[in-house]
Amino acid sequence: MGLHNGDKMMRYEEWSKLARKASKRSLWMVHFCTGCGAIEMPPVMTSRYDMERFGIAPMATPRQADVLLITGYLTVKTLRRVIQVYEQMQSPKYVIAFGSCTINGGMYWDSYNTIKHLEKYIPVDLYIAGCMPRPEGIINAFLELMKLIDEGKARGWERYQKYYDKYKENQRRVFNFEVKEEEKEEKEQKREKNEEH
Amino acid sequence: MKEYELFIGPQHPGITGNMMYHLWVDGDTVTKAECNVGYLHRGFEKLMESRLWMQNIPLVCRICVPEPDVNEAAYSMAVEQLMDWEIPDRAKYIRTIVLELARIAAYLMAIGSYAGSIGIYTLPQWSMGDRDYILDIFEQLTGARVYHIYIWPGGVRWDMPADLPRLIEKTLNYIEERLKLYDDVLFENRVFFDRAIGVGKIPCNKAIEWGVTGPNLRACGYGYDVRKLEPYAAYDEIDFDIVSYPDLGKFDAHEAGDVYTRMIIRRLEIEQSIAIIRQALKKMPESEHILKHPNWLRWKVPEGYAFARVESSKGEFGYFVVSDGGLKPVRVHVRGPSYTHGINVAEKLLQGANIADVSQILFSLDICPPDIER
Amino acid sequence: MKSIELLGKGEEMHGRAYIKLSADEIEESIKKLKENGFNHFVMLSCVDWLDKGKFELVYHMWNYEEKEHAMLSVDIDRNNDVMKSMSHLFPQIETYEREIHEMYGIKFEGNNRLTPFLLENWPHDPPMRKDFDSKKFVKQMYESIPFIEGDENEGI
Ligand code: SF4
Repeated sequence: MGLHNGDKMMRYEEWSKLARKASKRSLWMVHFCTGCGAIEMPPVMTSRYDMERFGIAPMATPRQADVLLITGYLTVKTLRRVIQVYEQMQSPKYVIAFGSCTINGGMYWDSYNTIKHLEKYIPVDLYIAGCMPRPEGIINAFLELMKLIDEGKARGWERYQKYYDKYKENQRRVFNFEVKEEEKEEKEQKREKNEEH
Repeated sequence: MKEYELFIGPQHPGITGNMMYHLWVDGDTVTKAECNVGYLHRGFEKLMESRLWMQNIPLVCRICVPEPDVNEAAYSMAVEQLMDWEIPDRAKYIRTIVLELARIAAYLMAIGSYAGSIGIYTLPQWSMGDRDYILDIFEQLTGARVYHIYIWPGGVRWDMPADLPRLIEKTLNYIEERLKLYDDVLFENRVFFDRAIGVGKIPCNKAIEWGVTGPNLRACGYGYDVRKLEPYAAYDEIDFDIVSYPDLGKFDAHEAGDVYTRMIIRRLEIEQSIAIIRQALKKMPESEHILKHPNWLRWKVPEGYAFARVESSKGEFGYFVVSDGGLKPVRVHVRGPSYTHGINVAEKLLQGANIADVSQILFSLDICPPDIER
Repeated sequence: MKSIELLGKGEEMHGRAYIKLSADEIEESIKKLKENGFNHFVMLSCVDWLDKGKFELVYHMWNYEEKEHAMLSVDIDRNNDVMKSMSHLFPQIETYEREIHEMYGIKFEGNNRLTPFLLENWPHDPPMRKDFDSKKFVKQMYESIPFIEGDENEGI
């Protein structure tokens, strides 16, 4: 009808603001325990800390959920599943990462099977510090996330769309990592030398 | 009838953690099950080989998340064997108390999640809340809720505060009261009887050969418990009973080795643990809490092979430690209790089970994936 | 100790029997111990002695009646790492062998379930071997992957 393009934009902005206000009050999180931080989730979900008073509830299927919790270290094998779950979720979707393991590898910095920086593979909206964050920390993180959603700053999912190729490239690299050819040769030479001895 | 394949986990509420079962079903009967683990594999054993003996303590507790203290105890005991150390009496008692508190916490968690798997959602709410009071004790004692890093080679890290026994006593009384409510909601509930009796039976004559340990073995009628077989900490000075199959106290005994018996055994062992803690608090002597220890940075452990075993809430935890007399261990191998009943036994029990029973069988075995994978 | 008497050799180590056997004796010995009350198979572990050029397999068995623990140890050559599977004696040995096959690369003849167990698509050397340098591997694999550039709060 008589609407200008600018008006449409205005409307979109207003509506999304309203939608954000509503959605931040009913965050559903995927029921996926990926690491040792998952042990602090039951107390947070149940009677002592009760996060349902903030409108947060566990959800079994990713398609109905808004928040993905990465509760700690991720092995390469789990990362594959996490990415599948993340891509199944409908935007807007948010990622909260627990503990130092997701930030820089934590105490598994030299482990051959855990990824060190979660950020390289999926966008993270919020980190919780601590080696096993406390339940209060988790609840605080959710409140912080609500604030970010309200201000329109939790936009990891948009980042994922924008840099999709780069994320995919990184994921591909970690899944199909091969030791470089030269090094293989080097190793073989070493082995031959050993056998000669 | 067509055969279908189902994948349960790793992202699924009916699974005991981050692991997966691959089921082949015919109608709603499972014809074949295959376990797929490795989602939590961090290569602990490799990491331990490149760290000092003392640096391994914060690592080992992460092997079993619901009950971390058994790992610290088992690792410390293995190192003490190699060093030929006899720990002070007070440390023994403190260890006993810590291990039993951890056991209660783990059982509460197991019972809660089991109840959730048969649709009784009240109990998880209660038992998780009650478990938290035990974590509060740990927080006062050690400064951390879940990973305590409290049991060290040579004793415990620091002494028990003078006012802690009162808090422990109060919490134990509270939990005892709550157990009555648990009985009403789960253990004397018609739903539990109908769902659990005769389901997921471990064949009793095979149980030992299959390597089943802990409450699952005791449910089959063998009263074996590492606390009695090879007493560690202060268990040899404390008087307690091993609960095993036909002797189920106030509960009726039905079939050996089924889901019902396994859960009842866990419920009864909480009472035993409470009794143990009370005795230990009463008998605790005054003495040092830790041996005079060497410089941790230059600490060499004599050459040899040591094996320490500890009874955890899931079964027998074993640590095999090999030293060549250096600053770092040559090899630490962990026998997780779930290694047997989470893979081979579960695969066999699931065969022929109903799909609806899969999750309750898994929860009643109390499988803890991190100790399978390490 | 009973197991030492039964097998006619071995020594006591920190209260447990440590018995050194050769690769052909092991099956008979496990059978013999199993018949004589050592009916709980605790675990099978593997130690890599890089400087001695051998793998050591340790079979742990436990006797509930006598309360005795026996460790049966077998050495196998590091360059010729083949061993006979014992999975017909105790079912859980199958899983231990799967793990050792994956972590050390030892092949167990007669175990037909040596499928990937803990790792997935692992084209590299078996990680638990002492000559696998995990720090270097981490540097090559994980540290070489770049961070995604761009502003933190940037959207579409
Ligand atoms: S940060 Fe600590 S508690 Fe969290 S996953 Fe890592 S090791 Fe576990």
